[in-house]
Amino acid sequence: MITKSPNLSINIGSLILKNPVLLASGTCGYGAELNDLLDLEQLGGIIVKGISIRPRPGNPPPRLVETPCGLLNSIGLENVGIDIFLRDKLPWLRKVKTSLIINVLGESVEEYAKIAKKLDRAEGVNAIEVNISCPNVKAGGIAFGTDPEAAANVTYAVKKATGLPVTIKLSPNVTDITEVAREVASAGADAISLINTLLGMAIDIKSRRPALGNVFGGLSGPAIKPIALRMVWQVVRAVDIPVIGIGGISTPDDALEFLMAGAKAVEIGTATLVRPDTAEDVLAGIRDYMEANSIQNIEDLRLPE
Amino acid sequence: MPRFDIPARIIEQTQLVHGIFLLTVKAPAIQDSAKPGQFCMLEVKYNHSRDPLLRRPLSIYKTRANGQISFFYKEVGKGTRLLSKRRPGEIVRVLGPLGQGFRLIYDHPCILVGGGLGIASLLLLAERLKQSGKLIILLGAGNASGIPTIEDFSRLTQNFHVATEDGGLGQKGMVTDLLAQTLREITGMAQIYTCGPWPMMKAVYYMARKRNIPCQVSLEAAMACGLGLCLGCAVPKSDSQGFLHVCQEGPVFDADQVHWEYSQ
Repeated sequence: MITKSPNLSINIGSLILKNPVLLASGTCGYGAELNDLLDLEQLGGIIVKGISIRPRPGNPPPRLVETPCGLLNSIGLENVGIDIFLRDKLPWLRKVKTSLIINVLGESVEEYAKIAKKLDRAEGVNAIEVNISCPNVKAGGIAFGTDPEAAANVTYAVKKATGLPVTIKLSPNVTDITEVAREVASAGADAISLINTLLGMAIDIKSRRPALGNVFGGLSGPAIKPIALRMVWQVVRAVDIPVIGIGGISTPDDALEFLMAGAKAVEIGTATLVRPDTAEDVLAGIRDYMEANSIQNIEDLRLPE
Repeated sequence: MPRFDIPARIIEQTQLVHGIFLLTVKAPAIQDSAKPGQFCMLEVKYNHSRDPLLRRPLSIYKTRANGQISFFYKEVGKGTRLLSKRRPGEIVRVLGPLGQGFRLIYDHPCILVGGGLGIASLLLLAERLKQSGKLIILLGAGNASGIPTIEDFSRLTQNFHVATEDGGLGQKGMVTDLLAQTLREITGMAQIYTCGPWPMMKAVYYMARKRNIPCQVSLEAAMACGLGLCLGCAVPKSDSQGFLHVCQEGPVFDADQVHWEYSQ
């Protein structure tokens, strides 16, 4: 029997990824922090920490609480800002032979457009992921992700500002995620990434205070995987653009479930914090599964309707 | 600085006193590059369990030339309880060495001030500073059982003093009382290193600042990755302009950088 090695490459709009395994924003820094513990060039791409127009200091501590099979965080989008990113972080990142996707956030539609325009001119950037779903900041972020019309406005403005492929990262903190998904798809998004974290909280019964400095935080990790998978399944069937699955993926089996649900690619998030080389392990496991089951193309993993 | 994420075999797991453990693992690569003040992230879950999800940050207490490293830790919650149940021969994943350690000063008398579990990050430093002109070690705890490894420190210098709050070991009182006495005897320049509970480190820093003595502190914070990926381990800066990140820029900082009046 002659076996060809399986084809793992996929397209997200005009962006070609060598495989569907990406590092999720906010869990891989600006890449360099992780470089000696994980071979970034093996991966389909890296999505760097969300960038805003101006630097953001982030939320007051405590910023983390561990929960059963999960992690609550209220980092508050701490980042160096677009100008320092372009000057200090991008030159290193563009030398890494993998797709570079920049996660962006803003407090107004104009800010999202402005940052997209700056990235449009930046050498080495392959795509933009628009964060309209961070639950940890008052202005911006989730305000756009929970209102379908506002989500569409941001999408339209960013698409107008750049020729780069644009994926919109959705919040699960809505009643019907397909409604927001349809709006951003018709506003011109090239893809949809989901889910961001689920809004949650914890209370410290010793100090009798909320355990997070910001009171509420976003829940991530294996605990949220079934919810993420259900939402990916729904959105895949609601829109015609590619969907990138995110939420609690820690093993090859987890990733295969998302690919079977119809996600074109997956992002590894919290699992990287627990074990830095998780994404490599996930990629190897997907390849092994395809070989063992004689599946030639990654997109053939998707379950029939 | 090389870092490694390796499966390490447990050589020894000893309960020194109730709730305080010494864990020794074989991890030659980490041992070889570990510096005083650095830490490791240890996996505490069993096999494919996802609970607890996160690793636990532990200071590197001791290293031996045969590739062994030891951690001195207290059972404070579910993670450390699970870790304490692991037995010699079993494997734990260890990521390290991580963070920026202490900067070693050999020109002046060095005063190490450790409180409670804080002594865990000071032994390697003390061993390294032994060659310097003058090494002074001051340790404090609630009672004698809080410092079960006292000989590890006392053998390093004649200038070794202990204080316990109940007076069961050494001088009755706080380690800061010992520091006040020591500072009265020192006339020239000195260097202070400290690790312990926040109120203790804060008191040590204010005493050092009053005398214009530089002070390095080793901080702890809840941590998810230990690598600067999540930015979860934030501590406010003294100038209120943003945050220090304990895992990446720390855990050792110049005490001047820290906003000591902030409390969580």
